[in-house]
Amino acid sequence: MHYPADVADVVYRYDGSMQGFLCCVFESFCRKELPSAVCSPADERLTLFPEREIPTDPARARRVWRGIERLGGSVRQRFATAFLSTDPEKELILLRYLRVAFATGKGVDRMLGDADVAAAWQLERAVNGEAHHFVEFLRFEERGGMLGAVIHPNNMILPLLRLHFCSRLPDEDFLIYDAVHEVAMLRRGNDVRYLEMTEYDSVPDEAEAQWQMMWKRFFKALTIEQRRNERCQRTHCPRRFWQDMCEMQGGCLESPVSRNKGLSRPPQFREMGGREKPEHVPALDW
Amino acid sequence: MDLAEKLEILADSAKYDVACTSSGVDRAGQHGSLGSCVAPGICHSFTPDGRCVSLLKVLYSNVCSYDCSYCVNRRSNDIRRATFTPRELAELTIGFYRRNYIEGLFLSSAVVGTPDLTMERMIEALRILREEYHFRGYIHAKAIPGADPLLVRRLGLLADRMSVNIELPSANSLQLLAPDKKKSAVLAPMRQIAVESQQSKKEMQVYRSAQPFAPAGQSTQMIVGASPETDRHIIGLTEALYKKYALKRVFYSAYLPVVEDSRLPALTTRPPLLREHRLYQADWLLRYYHFSAAELLSEAEPNFNPYLDPKCCWAIRNPQFFPVEVNTASKEDLLRVPGIGPKSAQRIVKARKMQHLGLPELKRIGVVLKRAQYFITCSGYLGARGSRAEIANALLDPKAFGVGVQQLSFDDCMPKALPDAAPELHHLTAQGMDVLQAAALLKQEAITCITRQM
Repeated sequence: MHYPADVADVVYRYDGSMQGFLCCVFESFCRKELPSAVCSPADERLTLFPEREIPTDPARARRVWRGIERLGGSVRQRFATAFLSTDPEKELILLRYLRVAFATGKGVDRMLGDADVAAAWQLERAVNGEAHHFVEFLRFEERGGMLGAVIHPNNMILPLLRLHFCSRLPDEDFLIYDAVHEVAMLRRGNDVRYLEMTEYDSVPDEAEAQWQMMWKRFFKALTIEQRRNERCQRTHCPRRFWQDMCEMQGGCLESPVSRNKGLSRPPQFREMGGREKPEHVPALDW
Repeated sequence: MDLAEKLEILADSAKYDVACTSSGVDRAGQHGSLGSCVAPGICHSFTPDGRCVSLLKVLYSNVCSYDCSYCVNRRSNDIRRATFTPRELAELTIGFYRRNYIEGLFLSSAVVGTPDLTMERMIEALRILREEYHFRGYIHAKAIPGADPLLVRRLGLLADRMSVNIELPSANSLQLLAPDKKKSAVLAPMRQIAVESQQSKKEMQVYRSAQPFAPAGQSTQMIVGASPETDRHIIGLTEALYKKYALKRVFYSAYLPVVEDSRLPALTTRPPLLREHRLYQADWLLRYYHFSAAELLSEAEPNFNPYLDPKCCWAIRNPQFFPVEVNTASKEDLLRVPGIGPKSAQRIVKARKMQHLGLPELKRIGVVLKRAQYFITCSGYLGARGSRAEIANALLDPKAFGVGVQQLSFDDCMPKALPDAAPELHHLTAQGMDVLQAAALLKQEAITCITRQM
């Protein structure tokens, strides 16, 4: 795709938020230039080009967002989902995608053959695919009437799990802890909050260990030895998901109850963003 | 006997049932109840044999009064026996479901006493789940052949998907190997489910109070390799089942010898896993690629080629159909090209409204160019030219020559033929040939053979 803009020898630096990135988009269109890189604070790449700090301006962000919404639901969806990716190139890919999108209009979601659109589509697919894997492989454990789970995703997929689990467990309170990005999604009653969380102690109590043991025995009983095909297993359920799946840990017949005599500490968490008042911190009773 | 042990016994008895899908019904969660369903289904784990665990697949009981010779649970077999109570089963399902271990329950049973008695107990377990625990997750229930139609109806109103196993690909084999089961007892509930499911679908559109009857349809399963039927017969039967009873799925299970019996293959027989795989590929061609059974196999060629998938086989036999122009061909024609599946065909149709498609675009869309390039043109230009041997090499299915290390013990790190490799590869290695050498030799032979056919 030909851009009505030149690749400029400049690096944009923004605050890592969606709003901040929308302002980068604004800047890029304003100056009719494509930066050679867009860096968030988490990004530690060294660059040779001069950096330009892009301030976050809600008014500009809103203006760009309205423009994206005019391109239709699927474009907005692709943009928002792909932004959850942790690919270091995601900003540049999305910027190029938006260039094509604003130049083409609504038809852009069908242009899968185009290199820039395909790149954004791949990002979206990777994020959605990973979220789906966690819908499959996430394992809750119960403590004090509440469900908790730990996951280690590559991308920030918590918002994509929200709808599924809120619909599936309509009357349950649960917490999903993303240990890589140290964020947790807490659902209480009808309220869902994202919390910054640093520690999660996943030592099951006796009843929980019993459930896990039953599940492991079930899993083991289901295997047909004559058909053993571990490559096929790893294709469908890659190794990196195994760490949080209790049935994939070896040794299912010994009783795991004895090893957790020490009472677990309650998890430490504080509100995201730090702007909320301290009384919003949920009770640590599970 | 504690619950964990029961679960182990009854899961072990149920594991030869193939169906573990949770697809076909979309149902959002609701306050006051537990669970939801999504139409494509969700797998929750994969066992070391590579099969998915989607449902809590158990038998209600394995105390069977029948004596089918291929079955582990037959009366004369000496195994541990157990029976759930309806409440135990319901609690187990809910406990697993809340922890996101499973998508729902798959309930089958051995015939405890009479088919009617068995069905009544299964219905009670499902009733507790649905009415007392307000469970909205997926339930797959097996109808027991020979049960009263009224019981089948009650089961269908509680379950999402139902299935009746036809067990073997012909009535003669059924007669021979499962003398207690009658052909009519298998087909009658199948017909009933098809009719009632259809009827309830119509009623649901008209009346608010109409109840869904098996909204995710029905499936069935047959054992492959225990009896002498050809692939052509099996695929023909599959097509007839899809057309006549509107089945959602037909499952195949490669026969695993579990008992010495003069009517069955010897105990040393390997399960025909590659054949099972080819049958599933053909089954996909029937359901998603608009192929018919008659196109895939003929009288002269009654079995699938172990080295080529059925679609490539068809492409080699019908060179007059190709090349297909990707920028203008209909979706049905695109689906006939090796390397283009339903998803990429859909994307091609969508994308070509916006731009002309060449090879780089097709690659981005997700077409497997390795195979497809020889069968397509892009705006009049052939994707690639290749000698017959090159094309044959691109089309060969690498699964047939699968060699790998499967560690059953720690000192076991020699490469071996994988279980789903071609039977000839197993044969050659059994004769003492080095496995890699055997695979290379076999591949060379296969290429020569296919080249000759082209």
